[in-house]
Amino acid sequence: MVIDKGHGSAGGGAGASPVSGPRGPGAPIEFRLDAGSGVPTYLQLVHQVEHALRLGYLKPGDQLPKVRDVVASLAINPNTVLKAYRDLEMKGLAAGRPGQGTFVQATLSQVALPELTTLRRSLSGWLAAADQAGLDEDGMVALFTSALRDFYERRGGSRARGGAASGETEGIA
Amino acid sequence: MSINVIETNGLGKRYGGTWALRECSLAIPAGHVAALVGPNGAGKTTLLNLAVGLASPSAGGVTVLGGRAPGSPAALDGIAFVAQDAPLYKNLSVADMIHLTRNLSRRFDQEYAETRLGELGIPLKRKSGRLSGGQQAQLALTLALARRPRLLMLDEPVAMLDPVARHDFMAIVLTAAVDDGVSVVLSSHVLTELERVADYLILLSRGRVQMAGEVDDLLASHRVLTGPALEADRYAERPVVHVRRAEAQAHLLVRATAADPVPPGFQAHPVGLEELALAYLREPGAAALPGPARGRHAEPSEVAK
Amino acid sequence: MTALTTPGRPEQDASPRPVPWRRMAWVTWRQHRFALGGVAALLGALAVWLWLIGLQAHHAYAAAADCHPASSSACGLLVGSFISHLSAAQNVAIVLQVVPALIGAFVGAPVLAREVETGTFRYAWTLGFGRWRWTLAKLVPLGVAVAAAAGLFSLLFSWYYQPFFVQTFSGNVQVPLYSTVFDLRGVAFAAWTLAAFAIGALVGMLIRRVVPALAATLVVYAGLAVAAGAYLREHYLTPLLVKNVNPPSSALIISQQWYAKGGQPASQAVLGQVLQQGAPQLGGGKGGIPQQDVTVNQWLIQHGYTLWTSYQPESRFWPFQWIEGGWLLALSVLLIAASAWLVSRRAA
Repeated sequence: MVIDKGHGSAGGGAGASPVSGPRGPGAPIEFRLDAGSGVPTYLQLVHQVEHALRLGYLKPGDQLPKVRDVVASLAINPNTVLKAYRDLEMKGLAAGRPGQGTFVQATLSQVALPELTTLRRSLSGWLAAADQAGLDEDGMVALFTSALRDFYERRGGSRARGGAASGETEGIA
Repeated sequence: MSINVIETNGLGKRYGGTWALRECSLAIPAGHVAALVGPNGAGKTTLLNLAVGLASPSAGGVTVLGGRAPGSPAALDGIAFVAQDAPLYKNLSVADMIHLTRNLSRRFDQEYAETRLGELGIPLKRKSGRLSGGQQAQLALTLALARRPRLLMLDEPVAMLDPVARHDFMAIVLTAAVDDGVSVVLSSHVLTELERVADYLILLSRGRVQMAGEVDDLLASHRVLTGPALEADRYAERPVVHVRRAEAQAHLLVRATAADPVPPGFQAHPVGLEELALAYLREPGAAALPGPARGRHAEPSEVAK
Repeated sequence: MTALTTPGRPEQDASPRPVPWRRMAWVTWRQHRFALGGVAALLGALAVWLWLIGLQAHHAYAAAADCHPASSSACGLLVGSFISHLSAAQNVAIVLQVVPALIGAFVGAPVLAREVETGTFRYAWTLGFGRWRWTLAKLVPLGVAVAAAAGLFSLLFSWYYQPFFVQTFSGNVQVPLYSTVFDLRGVAFAAWTLAAFAIGALVGMLIRRVVPALAATLVVYAGLAVAAGAYLREHYLTPLLVKNVNPPSSALIISQQWYAKGGQPASQAVLGQVLQQGAPQLGGGKGGIPQQDVTVNQWLIQHGYTLWTSYQPESRFWPFQWIEGGWLLALSVLLIAASAWLVSRRAA
């Protein structure tokens, strides 16, 4: 084979850098990178911010890690970080302040715990029914994904909501 | 304000009877981290040597930093070049290497060099030949960046480094890109880690440019269509770069965007950089060159199957 | 993407003033101080040696010259001792012939060859100093340095050899224009060292590997030195001619030829026959003609033969030194310029 695929990339190990690097004051979270996951880097950053928001690590007014610090600790292209932050700005989750950095602006709607429990229970019921009908795991996922997309399209919501939608397979399942 | 850090026009270089580089026309804009990728012998080092004046063209021309002649003092003033295996004077101590570089450069940030080497734990008194491979690479990089260049050119900078050294090296390169607006052109024959480092890609194979452009644009303009093998054989809506075919199923790598319709029976997937590059490398006749930026549209050649 | 590019630094001047020459002084010194040190050590050691044997030779000469009566056996011993110094001195001169070659090879060849062989040219020639300037800033100071050191050494050699030029004890007259002493004195030694250095530099750039370049430099230098000593030097100025008498003993004889009455050259065989027949008591010309024995020569002259000798007189020592120094200097300049041109042109 003409191209050497590199030594350390098997299983997404070597390139990944677990939580490390300098922590500036006012940056409550650290990014990490899963190089082998196939998810574009900027999306990983976006997801990590959204995840942190959901879990409460980030609150409105907190500063996101400085571009320079992310670059220095993860060794990724600065434009990737800028792209992720722009994405978050477009979603309304963050806003940049010139000369200061990027700050969390809003929060993802958090659903209360009892509601979450109820939803989970009804979901388990649906899963049992699907299993009875003969759907395997991937079939369930495909059906759910398709229905989810239809739901949002009917609603007229942007495809950007729930970031996992971009980069997904399209076409008929 | 945006200039082209490297601009070539039909550039070619011949050694004896062999063309190491042919018909190379590129315009690498400033403000990017550009990866020059290709198998060994593809012409990456030749291209870098031409850009830095260590070789002179057999055909065509090349200018750097917005029209300066390569190898001229004006060009080299703004370029820092770290050749393959980070050449240093092995008998000189680290401090002597700093002294030498400072003497021969128009600009040199002594404080930056000493601070950075201190952070890296590289002793100033040690002979540079006695440093480890990673330390030598870091020394070469420190000296390069201390010259405050506008363009940093690296020839296979991390080929000999272990993963930690690689990471640290690239972290410094990328930080320089952020902090000082240094444009970077680096060559490598390893694809996997370039995806998160580069935002501009040049793919070279057998002396010719197969792909050149911003990574985002390249990825956005290609899709993989997976569908029945028989239908795949008849597909002609968009240019096909590469086909991988089995009895019942085939994958077509096509030049299409997310907006292009997916033929019935097919699924469309986005492409990763490694898959894209490998596909082009397997199809010597295929090329995807940037269009509007160079004032012309370059349609890739069809793949004859 | 413009979001990334911080305007950083202002546009550079499109044609900046070049980095000053003197910045290379430290670089040249630092990179070649061992070579220069080696030259200093070599010449220093040789100088010490020459000084010691020179003192002995001067004392021996003074002792022999002051000895009275000159014919006594005691004085004879002193003369003998001096003459042994003379023989030794001739060997010393032969040994010292290699010094310029060694200096040229070991100092000159690695300058460019090592840069290319180790790949450091990819660093040195991309810093923006300017390639031909870098080359000159190295070769000129180094060349001047080795030439100056050699020049000083040749002064010492002239002092060492002085008694052997003036001595009258031995028939082994030392001729200043003779090859092995000529190129160790005056300006010739310095010029040959400079030329060897320049040859080394250019050969180093052509061959681009240190050890082969070293060897090639020695070979090229040897060829040039032999050609100069054997053929060129004799003809710097048109030789003088003298008829039927020997030139002064301090002159450099280029050729001698007997001519018969009719004007055609007479070979040794013919002359030998003539002597056998005409004057067998003189020994028949064995051992070649002319001989030290002037009676043989006089007999031939009386019988119509003419001896023509072409030679260079001792008085031409300094003119020849300047001529030789001049063309060696010109050659060195040419070779160094060629090296600089190659460096500035050469693709890697």
